[in-house]
Amino acid sequence: MSETSRFRSLEGGHGALKGAQTAWDMLSEEQMQKHITTGCEELDAILGGGIHCKEVTEVGGVPGIGKTQLGIQLAVNVQIPVECGGLGGKAIYIDTEGSFMVERAHQIAEGCISDLLDNTAHRLKDFPACPEILQPNSFLANIFYFRICSYTEQIATINYLEKFLEEQKDVKIIVVDSITFHFRQDFDDLALRTRVLGGMSLKLMRFAKKYSLAVVLLNQVTTKFVEGSFHLTLALGDTWSHACTNRIILYWNGNDRHAYIDKSPSLRSATAPFLITGKVYEVTRVI
Amino acid sequence: MEERGRVAGELERLIDGGTPHKSAVASQVPMPPPRNPRSAIHAKSPITKELGEEDVGMEEVSVVIDGRQPSWLNGVELLEDAKWNKHVLPTGCKGIDILLGGGLREGQLTEIVGPSSSGKTQVCLHSALGVADVHLGVVLFLDTCNSFSPHRIAHMVNSQSDTLVKEGKEGRLKRIMSSILCHSLFDIFELLDVLHQLECKLKHQVKSSGNRIRLLIVDSISSLITPILGGKNSQGRLMMITTGILLKKIANEYNLSVLVTNHMVGGEGGSLKPALGESWKNIPHVRLSLSRDQGSNVCNVSILKHTIIASGRTAKFVIDN
Repeated sequence: MSETSRFRSLEGGHGALKGAQTAWDMLSEEQMQKHITTGCEELDAILGGGIHCKEVTEVGGVPGIGKTQLGIQLAVNVQIPVECGGLGGKAIYIDTEGSFMVERAHQIAEGCISDLLDNTAHRLKDFPACPEILQPNSFLANIFYFRICSYTEQIATINYLEKFLEEQKDVKIIVVDSITFHFRQDFDDLALRTRVLGGMSLKLMRFAKKYSLAVVLLNQVTTKFVEGSFHLTLALGDTWSHACTNRIILYWNGNDRHAYIDKSPSLRSATAPFLITGKVYEVTRVI
Repeated sequence: MEERGRVAGELERLIDGGTPHKSAVASQVPMPPPRNPRSAIHAKSPITKELGEEDVGMEEVSVVIDGRQPSWLNGVELLEDAKWNKHVLPTGCKGIDILLGGGLREGQLTEIVGPSSSGKTQVCLHSALGVADVHLGVVLFLDTCNSFSPHRIAHMVNSQSDTLVKEGKEGRLKRIMSSILCHSLFDIFELLDVLHQLECKLKHQVKSSGNRIRLLIVDSISSLITPILGGKNSQGRLMMITTGILLKKIANEYNLSVLVTNHMVGGEGGSLKPALGESWKNIPHVRLSLSRDQGSNVCNVSILKHTIIASGRTAKFVIDN
């Protein structure tokens, strides 16, 4: 690009740079941004209101702790209508392990709707269209489901998502369950794996920023031999641990499930307990 | 033959940079203390006085040659430049500032390396806040991992301005936040494009304007370079080094400080080492290594490389909530 043409292209932007925003403008935008509730008040509290849009959040934990449940819950909660305090958006669910169960999603959608009708009945009275929207089937219809069977399909799907997001402007969350599955066994060349994962995470970051949506990546754990003992760490290595904006670790504390914020630029480290019940994620009840 | 000998002699003197020639010593122009070393005077004048008519062509050639090469500077000019133009910007984290003898130096590329969640982004946000507040300059934050949090900066500002009234607090917040510009990039080519745009803009801007860029932060540069580094061809390394050289050039010529973050990868025996490999090691002027114990607010910082201070020195600082 010649110098003169580059100079001319600068004039369209803010002061120093085209496409840059001041922190003051970003602050006002951020304050108006709604968060996606997880359904559990305590978890929402430590997250600052819920899962943030425009950020990539990684959720990791041992098998059976409830990562898929959280993923499905978020895919349902993102659809809470704007009148009830939600985002009223759609969800993309990328399933690599085959752990998405439609019956469970239906159950969670029913639970979410009954909670809405109980808690925000006064707001719903003003909006006659709500009964049609608040059906479990319509909630299921707004979840776009992709089933991935190999790492090439995963890379291809993420490349294709750009076009999909251009067409479907309402999508407000992308859940990838799990991001690591196909990259753990088939890759011989670890350096290539690092490069591919790096590229994939940059693309997901770009989607989060450009389309103002939340990206939630579910990750598995692995054991690592450090200083003579085995530790549980998230899979895919050190480089991948830098690929997300926030990280939440789910773990067992005795018989209780807890969530811990491991990495965040704006939230302090905190833990919160949660329960998985028939309906939704809930706060622990004091016995 | 005689003429050719004389022309060759003139050329030789041009290349030598003006070693005094016979009577030229008396006509040498004394050098004033330079404000900007780029305007330092080469010893051109003693030679041009001597040139006759046939050597006008030589004069034109010498102008062209001198225009293309960066000016030679001597030690005094460099010292003057360092004293007048290259200030020190405090990061706001006391431990780091004490360790670095003041803070980040303009004209230098500083790298912060650390494992995940060790406080790198917090240091960047602190530095942005500190520079925007105290030095009345603009901070440009290039964000590759969506970790720029205006809410966190606002929180830090408000915790520092406890003594002001409400209007004072809001005014201060607005002033500081308006001086921090954030741009998101997800591609090494976008980064290079932004840097070229910046260079272009800095070249043409009025020198004495109040909105001078003082600090450029790239968080994190390793996430842009990791997808292209390695493999069969060496283009990734080429882009990495090009980026490093461009950052250092911008820092030096336009007197701003550049701060980049890098992550760590596993090394031999399970220990961690900085990512981006051996070729990157030489590029930053200053390299700091951060670490944080699980669940604690205290970060340890140590010097891996510095131009003046001995490496291995450590310090601690606290990330306040």
